[in-house]
Amino acid sequence: MIGLFPAILLGTLIVVLGFYLVVQGLRRSQKPAVSIDEYSKAREALDAVFVQRAAIERVFSIDDFKFIAGTGNDDARRLFLKERKRLALLWLRKTQKQVAKLMDLHLRLANYTYDPNPGFELELNAKYAAFVVISKMVLLLLWVAGPFMATRTIAYTIRATGDFCTVFSLRLERVNATRLSSDLEYLIH
Amino acid sequence: MDTKIIWWSGVALDVAILSRGCWTGLLRKFPLFYTYIGCVVVKEIIGLLSYEWAPRFYELLYWPTELATVLASYAVIIEIFRQVLKHNPGAARLTHNVLVMVFAFMLAYASSDPLHGGSVSLPRAIVELARDLRYAEGALLLVMLSFFVRYRISANSNLLGLIFGYAFWVGINIMTLALWFLPGNGLSLRLRTVLPLSYNMALLIWCVTLWAVRPNPVQPPENDVERDYELLATKTREIFARVSSGLVRTMRP
Repeated sequence: MIGLFPAILLGTLIVVLGFYLVVQGLRRSQKPAVSIDEYSKAREALDAVFVQRAAIERVFSIDDFKFIAGTGNDDARRLFLKERKRLALLWLRKTQKQVAKLMDLHLRLANYTYDPNPGFELELNAKYAAFVVISKMVLLLLWVAGPFMATRTIAYTIRATGDFCTVFSLRLERVNATRLSSDLEYLIH
Repeated sequence: MDTKIIWWSGVALDVAILSRGCWTGLLRKFPLFYTYIGCVVVKEIIGLLSYEWAPRFYELLYWPTELATVLASYAVIIEIFRQVLKHNPGAARLTHNVLVMVFAFMLAYASSDPLHGGSVSLPRAIVELARDLRYAEGALLLVMLSFFVRYRISANSNLLGLIFGYAFWVGINIMTLALWFLPGNGLSLRLRTVLPLSYNMALLIWCVTLWAVRPNPVQPPENDVERDYELLATKTREIFARVSSGLVRTMRP
């Protein structure tokens, strides 16, 4: 029916996933599935992405670099490039981490929905995969070429992140809000 | 002698799992799984008796009974799915749709296999059907495990042990069957030993993890789960909307 290699691959994947599920399950059984605390952390992560938007544009802005280059001091230019590269790498790693947190939150929340949408889930997972691949490529580009050379790709990453967030907000609009109890409103503030 | 030791230890483990299941009450919790174990015990005892007293009958019996246990093992997939459904309705519902599609595809593919002209005799056809059903089972299990891992399902140690033991057994079984069907490996003594040994390992995993009833993962009461989720979702929707509009504004000045 299937060849030797696919069969070996199938068997190996089943054993590995089974083992991974046990490790994941034992780790998760030590803490509650969904809590307000977890929500607060995700909220902070989201806020950080939003707040950093203006600052990050400055990191990648070519104007500062032009100004430093205009002074003719090579040491200052090198230090400036090094610092900006470090900041850009830090930002990207943090963004990756925050988006991963969002995805984790979504997946855990999806477990409790009564009517999840498979089409939307597929779309969300595809977009997340695209984000992961692109952001890793940009990270490599930043590492090799520095922030100013990589500006175009960065702009594309930002666009991908934007799409991801839009999909996420649409997904949350599908939540059954009628189940929300008004007596617990205080928890959101 | 070695073969008999492996065989008898397998039966002993089967009986131990069944008796512990009765004693702890897990038999009522996982009825389909214990039914499967019961089927295996019956098959093993029939196999042992016929091997001792009527070896020719054993040869005839081996693959049909193997086919029957492969079919019975589908009950374990249903059991796992049923148990996961209890605490993770969202992930289970998503998995259900994909499982139905994969099963339909694999069944159609497996049933079309004999038409390609592979089998010339009934025993050979049974052997190939058993193998194909095991592959289909493997595909189902892979899809199910992927969803469970992706959606971070929560389960107690009993269920996790059941899933891991089953995944281990099916995974090793698929690899062994694939090697078995390679030309020249049909009579390999090593492969004949790997299969029961790996099954005994799976039985050992089940025996250890189903020895006593383990508590379910720490979860807030049902109402709290729903309310927390809705609160979380409502507030997060607001934040996401704010962040995404901010991002779009930054991207398209």
